[in-house]
Amino acid sequence: MKKHQECSKIVLAVCATLGMALAPSAYAASGPIKIGVQAPITGTYADEGQGIERAVKLLAAMQNAKGGLLGRKIEIKVCDDQGQAAQAAICARQLVNDHVVAVIGSYTSGAALAAEPIYARANVIQTSDGTSNELLKRGYKTWFGNAAPNSAEAKFTAHYLVDVRHFKKIAVLTDHSSFATGLAGAVVRDIKADHGNVVDKSFINAGSQNFSPVLTKLKSMHPDVLYFSGYYSDGGLIRAQMVQLGMKAAFVGGDANQNVAFAKIAGSAAAGSIIVNVPAPADLPYPVAKQFVATYKAKYGALPPSVFTLTNADGMRAVMQAIAATKSVKPAKLEAYLHSMKSFQGLTGTFAWSAKGERTGSPFVAFAVQKDGSYKIRYPAPKND
Amino acid sequence: MGTFIQQLINGLTVGGIFALIALGYTMVYGVMRLINFAHGDLCILGAFIGLTTLTSAAGGGHPGAGLLLLAFVVSVIVIAVAGVALERIAYRPLRKADRLAAVVSALGASMMIENGIMLVWGPQVHVFPSNLLPATTWHLAGATISFVQVMIILASLVLMIALYLFVNHTRFGTAIRAAAIDQDAARLMGINVNRVIASVFIIGPALGAIGGLFIGIYYREAYFTMGWTYGLYAFIAAILGGIGNIPGAMLGGVLLGLFNAFAAGYVSSSWQDAITFGLLIVILLVRPTGLLGERVAEKV
Repeated sequence: MKKHQECSKIVLAVCATLGMALAPSAYAASGPIKIGVQAPITGTYADEGQGIERAVKLLAAMQNAKGGLLGRKIEIKVCDDQGQAAQAAICARQLVNDHVVAVIGSYTSGAALAAEPIYARANVIQTSDGTSNELLKRGYKTWFGNAAPNSAEAKFTAHYLVDVRHFKKIAVLTDHSSFATGLAGAVVRDIKADHGNVVDKSFINAGSQNFSPVLTKLKSMHPDVLYFSGYYSDGGLIRAQMVQLGMKAAFVGGDANQNVAFAKIAGSAAAGSIIVNVPAPADLPYPVAKQFVATYKAKYGALPPSVFTLTNADGMRAVMQAIAATKSVKPAKLEAYLHSMKSFQGLTGTFAWSAKGERTGSPFVAFAVQKDGSYKIRYPAPKND
Repeated sequence: MGTFIQQLINGLTVGGIFALIALGYTMVYGVMRLINFAHGDLCILGAFIGLTTLTSAAGGGHPGAGLLLLAFVVSVIVIAVAGVALERIAYRPLRKADRLAAVVSALGASMMIENGIMLVWGPQVHVFPSNLLPATTWHLAGATISFVQVMIILASLVLMIALYLFVNHTRFGTAIRAAAIDQDAARLMGINVNRVIASVFIIGPALGAIGGLFIGIYYREAYFTMGWTYGLYAFIAAILGGIGNIPGAMLGGVLLGLFNAFAAGYVSSSWQDAITFGLLIVILLVRPTGLLGERVAEKV
């Protein structure tokens, strides 16, 4: 008898769960607005995953303290995908069943990719720092990438060299690594697209230290800037040898040159070198970002683990802005709003989304190395809004 | 013209360093018929010892030129001792063994020193203090030459001439040459061959330590894997000039530096090594014992 009773209890419970699941509570005009976080809370990327969870929860708490959105509280549902595709699909189904309006995450492209079609079919907005081209291929209108695509560094660099600094003769130098040659190739292509003039593209052997021969050759071409796409240990030495050879050209380095050792190796030649990179959370120049990072640090006692914490926070902020502006939680309205935004002031710079959901508007900045080895942002000029 | 002279200066500077290191290979080979593959790592160990001497003697302040001299002295002494210890531990027990055993032992010693440097100093790039030497540069015909470059070129030249005179015009130098030609006959003539071998393991590494410290001062950085790169270049320089031949190693080092500079400057920097080593193959095809090499008959 006892057993039978238990069985019916289970049936009841299942029915109740199903009933709840079937009711469209997310779009209901009452109860909290649910937003999901799909991130690697454990595993290799736990640090990053926990950063995303903390940032999103902090934003929700800040909004709730101001009365929430549309008079409703925001509730965060977190699912740990461990950075793995299989777990990501399970998380996606679970969050869809939880009736979230939007999902922030995941951190890895692979986990975001596995979850992407599930959110698309359920019409749930997904915003992630994933930058794999695969994420754009299927053209889901629910996809909003919040990190700059891989091509953004080259585009920004070309724009900076040609349109901002107006260099007339650009020399490009790279090592043989796939990272540096890929970046150098993209920079050359984008400089040409911007009608810039590349006078030479040369290679160095990373770690060989003896760069004077190739620099002597470049010097005879009288470039006004040398762009180097390789790593800091070579970059610092290249800068030092340029000055030693009496080269007048400016030095602009790719993101792999940002390391404290660059200025040490280049010594007195370091000052004035430019390095292009996404600023670390603590270096973001935008007032909104400074404020958020300070709040984050005050609450959690640590800085956000990386800039991707903040790009995901930007995804969350954009979704909240969309809900407030459209006074709705209907996916179609939110998607249309997000796609139509001309420029969104994010923590990581101003951006918008293309029709494919790709982030346009780069988080990159050009740093100038100072005499004491610290960095100062040269472009875009820090705003005081 | 300015570019040509500049490449000449570039080539001579690194060529001088290559030559200093190549001497260690060639002297050991001359006496023992052994390629001491650990030599490059000993040289870079010299750079690290010099750097540590500089920074610790300066005690947080800025090291000056006097301390630089101290760094050279400490580094030369430590590396000479290390060279002798290396011979005692890794090569002497194998002197009667198959030649391959000694080569494997040399490779093992190379890895041991390289990883030892990593464990003691860490895997990151170490930076030499700036302004150790005057930053003076001179301009000639559109080319610039710095104080460091002049110092390296001159010091390498002086050291090489001194070594040449020592080996050819002193009694001990005669003993070294005798041991190089025939160890058994030299022993019969009353030459202490063990002392001769110990001496080449003092002179070679000591010159190498100076070369290693020059690398550190010129490029102002040192990291633990550098020994392999420079060791390989210097080894090739020794082969190019004729291994076992002291003026040959000097010529080989300088030529290799010049080849490298002109290949990078006038052809393409990505083909720099291919051209340099292509030339090496051509030279060895024409002269199998290297430019100034001994006759083959004498070696066997």
